[in-house]
Amino acid sequence: MERSTRTRLITILLAVTFIGILVSCQQTDDGDFTDYAILQGYIQEGHYFTLTVSRQVPFADDVTYSSDDINNLIISVDYNSSTYVLTPLGNGMYIDSSIIVNEGDTYHLSFVFNNQQVSAITTVPYKPVNFQSSVTELEVPPQSGGQGPPQGTIPEPVILTWNNTDATYYIAVIQNMETNPVPITSGTTSQNEKRFRTPPTALNTSEIRPLDFTYYGMHRIILYHVLPDYAFLYTQNNSSSQNLTSPSSAITNGYGIFTGLNSDTLFIDVNQP
Amino acid sequence: MKSIIQVRTFWPLLVWLLLFNLISSKLQAQETLSLSGIVKDKSTGEALPFATIQIKGTTTGATTNVDGYFLLNDLPSDTSTIIVQYPGYAFTEIKLTSGHFKSGFKIEMAQEVKSLDEVTVVGVREQVTLVDRANISTIKLTPKVLRQLPNVGEKDIMRAFQLMPGVGASNESSSGLYVRGGTPDQNLILYDGFTVYHVDHLYGFYSAFNSNALKDVQLYKGGFESRFGGRLSSVTEITGKDGNQNKFNVGADLSLLSMNAFVEVPIGKKFSSLVAFRKSYRGPIYNQVFGMFNSTGTGQSSGSKGGSNATVASYFYDVNGKFTYRPTNKDIISLSIYNGTDNLNNSSVARTEGVSSSTFSSSSTDLTNYGNLGSSLKWSRRWSDKLYGNTLFSYSNYYSDRNNSQQKSITDSLGATNSSSQGLFENNDLKDYSFKSDYEYDLKKNVQLQFGGFGTYYDINYTYAQNDTVTILNRSDQATLSGIYVQSKIDLLKNRLHVLPGMRLSYFSTTGKPYIEPRLSASYDLTERWTLKGAIGRYNQFANRVTREDILSGSRDFWLLSGTGSVPVSSANHYILGASYETPKYLFSVEGYYKTLSNLTEYSLRFNPVAGGGGVTYNENFYNGKGFSRGVEFLAQRKVGKFQGWVSYTLSQTMNNFSIYSSNYYPASQDVTNEFKTVFLYKLKKWSFSATWIYGTGKPYTAPSGGYNVTLLDGSTQSYYTVTAKNGQRLPAYHRADLAVNYILFGGKKERREIGYIGLSVFNVYNRTNVWYKQYAITDGQITQTNVNYLGITPNITLSFKLR
Repeated sequence: MERSTRTRLITILLAVTFIGILVSCQQTDDGDFTDYAILQGYIQEGHYFTLTVSRQVPFADDVTYSSDDINNLIISVDYNSSTYVLTPLGNGMYIDSSIIVNEGDTYHLSFVFNNQQVSAITTVPYKPVNFQSSVTELEVPPQSGGQGPPQGTIPEPVILTWNNTDATYYIAVIQNMETNPVPITSGTTSQNEKRFRTPPTALNTSEIRPLDFTYYGMHRIILYHVLPDYAFLYTQNNSSSQNLTSPSSAITNGYGIFTGLNSDTLFIDVNQP
Repeated sequence: MKSIIQVRTFWPLLVWLLLFNLISSKLQAQETLSLSGIVKDKSTGEALPFATIQIKGTTTGATTNVDGYFLLNDLPSDTSTIIVQYPGYAFTEIKLTSGHFKSGFKIEMAQEVKSLDEVTVVGVREQVTLVDRANISTIKLTPKVLRQLPNVGEKDIMRAFQLMPGVGASNESSSGLYVRGGTPDQNLILYDGFTVYHVDHLYGFYSAFNSNALKDVQLYKGGFESRFGGRLSSVTEITGKDGNQNKFNVGADLSLLSMNAFVEVPIGKKFSSLVAFRKSYRGPIYNQVFGMFNSTGTGQSSGSKGGSNATVASYFYDVNGKFTYRPTNKDIISLSIYNGTDNLNNSSVARTEGVSSSTFSSSSTDLTNYGNLGSSLKWSRRWSDKLYGNTLFSYSNYYSDRNNSQQKSITDSLGATNSSSQGLFENNDLKDYSFKSDYEYDLKKNVQLQFGGFGTYYDINYTYAQNDTVTILNRSDQATLSGIYVQSKIDLLKNRLHVLPGMRLSYFSTTGKPYIEPRLSASYDLTERWTLKGAIGRYNQFANRVTREDILSGSRDFWLLSGTGSVPVSSANHYILGASYETPKYLFSVEGYYKTLSNLTEYSLRFNPVAGGGGVTYNENFYNGKGFSRGVEFLAQRKVGKFQGWVSYTLSQTMNNFSIYSSNYYPASQDVTNEFKTVFLYKLKKWSFSATWIYGTGKPYTAPSGGYNVTLLDGSTQSYYTVTAKNGQRLPAYHRADLAVNYILFGGKKERREIGYIGLSVFNVYNRTNVWYKQYAITDGQITQTNVNYLGITPNITLSFKLR
């Protein structure tokens, strides 16, 4: 074989090989913003079935939303082998006043948004059993604020107990019920601090430290029996990517929270010594 | 059942291998001569590994082994001429005489033409790198030529490889190599036989290898031989210097980054040693790199808060030691030790006196402490001219402790202290105890059989915690990996066709399964100038560096042992085809590759963990996927003369498919579509000049795309964010030019020899702002995006002196 013919042959052989390697294509995703529906549904025993649908706030300026109107979605709920369609109330809120949520029921909702089938499912947990508090009254000395050790004699923490043989999740929310409560720490004015919570736990006990209370007066302690989805919200941390994407694994093609709840309530009175 | 099938397929292949050997030996019936010997550096006596020896006017040749020995067959007569090449050394031609065929033939290579033996040397050629003609996807680099290339404070062997086609160049923050779409953990790094698991100093801007302690580095970019295993992509084989065997030597380098010193002490004719030490100091370059990483880092403290600020220490150092003893002219016993440590500290302490004789203190810790300790004890023996073997015991430890947290502590009036820590705690510890025994046996004139056995005990631990009580991930795994390999180097068709079939059989205790890895590579010398090459093979990896995805503040990775359900043993198939055209002055090479990858693993906390019977377990947040990488590499190199250099271009695609992120393939984080590199070197008497330019397509990344709020049961609102498609965005293109000029110092009365140089180097000459990664802070539903950039223009001066 002459050199030129051989060289040409090699060139053709190589060209065919490399083109072969490179031509076959794979389908890939593009990186644009997707208009997903955001759900917020706390499906609580004894309440009507309610749901709020909203949209994300995009970080980029040049984003176009889908043409779907979040106030006029056709949202159906399946439970007990029946299908119900929720009634829109405006501002993305929906209700079905014929459904009173029951313990142990499973609710499956679905609707179409941005050409995708959005679905979510949850089951309502049972009501907390044998919920008790170590005290019903607490004396907390007034505090001056600022840095430094607490002033006066601080009483023992309030111990909350309940039955939890199946190691499911509970969270207690403590809420001041007074209209104009007196703050424990001088200078406190925030109404947001009238409500606080204990960390979620899979144990059968939780404690409230006396200085967690911000105001004097009657408080309601609501013990929520929650699903793992909800408990995980509190393990998340702003400095990591854990709070990226959905806090709830129960939602498909959407984000937000859709979770069953049940609760029991006790009261505690916080006074000045 | 699968494993039984695999074992069954092994034996026929082995039989085929042996038959192949026998048949091939029959094909070569012509009577010819054989020449054996050793290739050494003339001035230091160091054996030169992987030097090439070729019979002039033919394509017949041989390569020295790791200890410098060679056996050259098929010499047509005892008056042939052989050509010996080694990068950085004079190109040597030797006209053979019958005296050379006696045992103990020593070829001495010199760096300067004037010091060469006039009888044997007729030509001189000094080249920076060598693309191996016979072996596919192999690049050779000698540390002594590194000073010709621009640097940022250190002559760095890993940075030099990044200038070659197929090795990712736009990774200032990783000394680990991204070879043909592979991640750095898929590149096996062997340093005098022991595995080095982490090669980064100072956030990856410098590699763990002190070039003063290195003799030779080979990079196998793919399709590598059966004697290597345990990695999916590539192998970097580093041989440390034995130390000057003739005379005491000492040297030192000083740059704006570090101080570096070495000493070589021979004792008698049989013992040589080398100790090299390098330590950074907080000079201008160190501070620039450190500051760049920390000024925009997440969770960093902005300093003290009215109290006294603690003094922080931040540095890296490494020590290399090699001690070689040659009790006979057939035995070499060597002990090699490496220790490298990085202490990156960006902590601060604020201390305030409280009231009522109580003390409060708060501090912010940002401490990353990592390093390697490795050692190998090797015994090599030349049993005969035909049988060569070495046996090695090694230990390698990589550890990394990261503490990025805020501590609060209160000491009350009674002296009781209550303290707590919040933040990120990450600890990774890997121990590797290995044994290896390798043999080369020249079965026939044209057949060399290579075989061996190996065993490794792994002990790998990893914990990741978010505060002092919540541990998110905690793994502790131990396993043994053992096996055998056999491969054969066969020359056929009048030495035009070189074939290397091989088989590696491993047994991994965690899975209790055998793993068969058949491999085959071949090269065919079509003409004296044209060579065609190809390789195919299967590869498994048993210890993986798993990426922990973190979109807001940059992903990190950690070593884990594979084999459990959530982290399976990963595997790859390589298919490579290439051609090269080589003239005495130029080399043109093209190689195409396709690599499939399966059982890849990533760790992400982006998705909710599986709820077990009451416990939250993030131990299961591992996600598995597959991927592929394909591309074509072009290289044009001028190898000789005052003006040398190369131009290379790589077109590639690396895609992953993890079903948790997407049902489709998406670009892998290391995917770079186009990469273009040029390297120009010019020598003028005592001066050497170099210039490099690199261009790479921007890397893909995932970004937050939007936000929304959820109202919680306690009335508070929590913000959540959505992200773009996985790696759906691209950073801007990376490009950079570097320049260097060196003035070489000569000394010596009788012989004019090089005793050092003064080097000036400018990194990123036109001060291009290259984006490393994007960082996001989301407050009140608004996103703030910060580009964390790579190094801007950075000059460096290096002073280097040595006794000889």
